[in-house]
Amino acid sequence: MILGLRPPVAFAALLAGVAAVVIAIFNWKGAPVTSETFLVTTYIGLFLGALWAMYATGLVVVYTTTGVFNFAQGAIGVFSAFLYWELHVNRGWHSILALFVVVAMFAPALGVLLDVVIMRRLRTASLVVQLMVTVAIMVLLLSVVGDIWEADTPRRVPYLFGIENGIDLGPSQLPWHRLIVFLVAIAIAVAMRFLLRRTRIGTAMRAVVDNRELAALNGARPNVVSSTSWALGSMLGALGGILIAPELGLDPATLNNVVIIAFAAAAFGALRNLPMAVVGAMLIGLLRAHTGAWLDFGPDYRFAHLAVAPLILLFVVIALPQARLEVGRLAHHLRRHERYTKWWEGLIGCGVVILLAVAFSGGWLDFGVWDPGAWGSRELNSANEAMAFALIGLSLVPLIGWAGQINFAPLAFAGFGAFVYLKLAGDTGNGYWIIVVGLLCAPLGALVALPAARLRGLYLALMTMAFAQAMSLIFFPHSWVMPTIGVGRQFPHIELFGVTFDDRRGFFLVMVSVFAIFVYGLVLLRRSRYGRRWMAINDSQAAAATLGVPVVWTKVVVYAVSASMAGIAGVFWATVSGNVDSVQGFDLLIGFNIVLLVAAAGVSIPMAGIFLIFIPLFTGLGHRLEDAGNVGYLVTLLDIMTTYGPGLMVLGMVFNPRGAIFEMGRGFAPILPWRSDARAEIAAENAQKREPEIGELGIERPFTPEEVIAIDRRLGILDDVVPKEGYGTSRS
Amino acid sequence: MALLEAENVVMRFGGVVALDDASVDVDPGLVTGLIGPNGAGKTTLFNVVTGLLPPTSGRVRFDGVDITRAGVAKRSQMGIARTFQKLEAFNTLSAFDNVRVAVEKNHRTKWKHQRVNDVAHEMLGKVGLDDVSDVTVGTLPTGSARLVELARALACRPRVLLLDEPSSGLNEEETSSIGQLLLELVADKDNDLAVLLVEHDMSFVMGVCTRIHVLDFGKIIAVGTPMEVQGNEAVRAAYLGGDEFRAGYVGVGE
Ligand SMILES: Nc1ncnc2c1ncn2[C@@H]1O[C@H](COP(=O)(O)OP(=O)(O)OP(=O)(O)O)[C@@H](O)[C@H]1O
Ligand SMILES: [Mg+2]
Repeated sequence: MILGLRPPVAFAALLAGVAAVVIAIFNWKGAPVTSETFLVTTYIGLFLGALWAMYATGLVVVYTTTGVFNFAQGAIGVFSAFLYWELHVNRGWHSILALFVVVAMFAPALGVLLDVVIMRRLRTASLVVQLMVTVAIMVLLLSVVGDIWEADTPRRVPYLFGIENGIDLGPSQLPWHRLIVFLVAIAIAVAMRFLLRRTRIGTAMRAVVDNRELAALNGARPNVVSSTSWALGSMLGALGGILIAPELGLDPATLNNVVIIAFAAAAFGALRNLPMAVVGAMLIGLLRAHTGAWLDFGPDYRFAHLAVAPLILLFVVIALPQARLEVGRLAHHLRRHERYTKWWEGLIGCGVVILLAVAFSGGWLDFGVWDPGAWGSRELNSANEAMAFALIGLSLVPLIGWAGQINFAPLAFAGFGAFVYLKLAGDTGNGYWIIVVGLLCAPLGALVALPAARLRGLYLALMTMAFAQAMSLIFFPHSWVMPTIGVGRQFPHIELFGVTFDDRRGFFLVMVSVFAIFVYGLVLLRRSRYGRRWMAINDSQAAAATLGVPVVWTKVVVYAVSASMAGIAGVFWATVSGNVDSVQGFDLLIGFNIVLLVAAAGVSIPMAGIFLIFIPLFTGLGHRLEDAGNVGYLVTLLDIMTTYGPGLMVLGMVFNPRGAIFEMGRGFAPILPWRSDARAEIAAENAQKREPEIGELGIERPFTPEEVIAIDRRLGILDDVVPKEGYGTSRS
Repeated sequence: MALLEAENVVMRFGGVVALDDASVDVDPGLVTGLIGPNGAGKTTLFNVVTGLLPPTSGRVRFDGVDITRAGVAKRSQMGIARTFQKLEAFNTLSAFDNVRVAVEKNHRTKWKHQRVNDVAHEMLGKVGLDDVSDVTVGTLPTGSARLVELARALACRPRVLLLDEPSSGLNEEETSSIGQLLLELVADKDNDLAVLLVEHDMSFVMGVCTRIHVLDFGKIIAVGTPMEVQGNEAVRAAYLGGDEFRAGYVGVGE
């Protein structure tokens, strides 16, 4: 204990304090600090903090009562803000009426709908599935907003009671809107705290997440409880979105990013402690306002003042105590089958992929009716983009698919890889440097994972998200990193084995080969002791630890491997985009889409990366159809598939967590002559279907005597408890 | 001095006192029993000993070394292995790979000169699972998955083996062969193994254990030989009305 704080907390606080002082000293703007400007800045900070507190309250309420961390909280706010704009501004409804309809009617309905259709089924799902599904909802909601409310019309959500009216504070004035926001946020937090701690329904809500069966026995109705929390959480998201929209403008991406700050605030309260989450939100608000007012980071770090939230999250993660390894959460009988791909199957598969790619791109295939023809530059562009995406997607397979750890920052690692390559081989394009890129990205991955690896998986997910944001705010905009925007400097063509791959077809084949090599590497890795160990910590970290496996270190290693693959993929991605500037386009939302598509495909299977081909493929096909004069519904359909496809496919994970490729493979495998195991498995499953579960017996009708015998046999209940011969002599 | 000692362990979960000043010691060369009614704190004691739960107070000593603060993996390397009451097998891996994960971690330190696959096969053979070694554990019946956990624990070449209700889900025949296996393991002087067994099947416990600790509401209420424990009034009171205890009494009494 140091000053009454646990050592990690004291350490993190010290670290944060030193960082704050150093940053402040080096970036002091020099503006005079008067008590007036100070006060005004403070009240802006508190107001911002109040808005984030509202989001964070919603997150904490849903998390403490359902165990699901809702990444879609921000998107619910975005949707509600647009709906409010539609009703209030576009249709001219009174603001109070519009507010009531959106917050008190639409939002709870949405929350209940989400709960009934999706969230309830996620209770026992793995963290990967839980997070992927909420992220998918986020992406879907944002797509819907983008489709209903076209981006080209400028929109504004007005302040409640106007910005001019308010209390006069001397130098400036405090508009009613901001005062109301502040009071409402505090009132909500207090009310929620009261609800959770002091009321019957609140107690039931908290009890259900710990032990559903026990709570149900005591009269709590789990389904009512979880619907209530989702309705509440959704209402808070809606209110936050509507109230923050006048400040930030009605832009989906900006409004949605607010939620990252709310994540940091919620983490400040260890995701469960409401008052601390509010304190965290206020702290971030104050820091944001005051850094904006007094500090100047110069043109190279022009977005740095926005990076307060990721930094806070980092310090929180350092301060949190080590998580206990959970036991007794495992559902036996998952009916999950893993089979090693044989090394020769891998070789054949990769060979086939390469041959197909060559044949297709060269136009050597002719199916008679449908002759794809040799690819033109547009098809090749799409194909190249697809392969680059696929490579990035592959980096997620060992991490998400095997070790069950989440990474929302594959593009940030890819960007870092592109940066390293540009620095090392920018002039020559010498391809051998790619190996060094892989080596340098690995420690970065380890560094990102290190602080959060000893915590629950959710924190790692949040950390990677914070990392992605910090990279795009601090690292990539720096002029030294990606030199001068607008000059149009080309990313170098890669040169390997004395050949410069400056034509698109050649480069496509290079990427297909790299893809095949990666897949084959993964096949071998999966069969190795490392692959086994990663699968093991995914199944049970506690058991792995009791066998002597260092769990934290193992996770860090997986992140390093994944980051290294993503970095190498980034070199190809940047080469495909050509322009150096584009490397900055590594934004979070594209990252989400990549993660979602890989997850939907079945992220434990290397070939899942191939699914990412859908993004450019659909766009490319759309172009083609348009060229052919086929504009109508087909193009729209493809458009819809590109926008909504990933999200919708991930929702499928609720019912089928193993992913699409897995199911396809299961249908396909029994046909292969050497896969007698697959045929046997199907047969066994059919046999099992006929034999009902013990728990299901006797519900519809009384047992027959044969069934009683069968049950006794399966439960191992014996007539005679005394063993015939004993177990040997007991020595005393 | 005993090989493994838990000394005055207190474990509190909020208002619930799961372990209340409980002390247990385990010696090599014999099977020590730990019995008690449901919710007595047996599993909690295992969690404290293996490091999955930090005790509210009290110490855990292994081979004379205080390991109360040591990490889970560290304790495993020192020689503490366990199985779980609620299964914690690696469900997506095959039975063979479940064991291999354990062997691979320990083969340099504890299985000198032996090939990983050989050791893994040997362990599966010991628990009688050779024929399902390639089956995914998630699809095995509960009893077999439990045996996979046992094989996995043995693959760590432990000096103390903690077994949490190994017989549940097994039939009479399988239970008796596990009992036989345990007695063989502790009798083998090369192993120098101590077993701490938590069980509800009284005839099983009374048959294999040399010493028994009885836990009730987190307190140790009796320690002794099977005969002594069965004669103890406090133990009888704790188990009042429990048929399981009488059944066990008959089992050893003949
Ligand atoms: N993580 C936990 N949080 C709160 N209470 C717990 C926790 N683990 C155990 N308990 C409580 O501690 C007590 C002891 O539980 P434990 O599982 O150790 O009993 P046990 O002797 O193993 O019982 P059983 O024979 O049913 O396996 C119980 O009252 C249980 O509810
Ligand atoms: Mg128990």
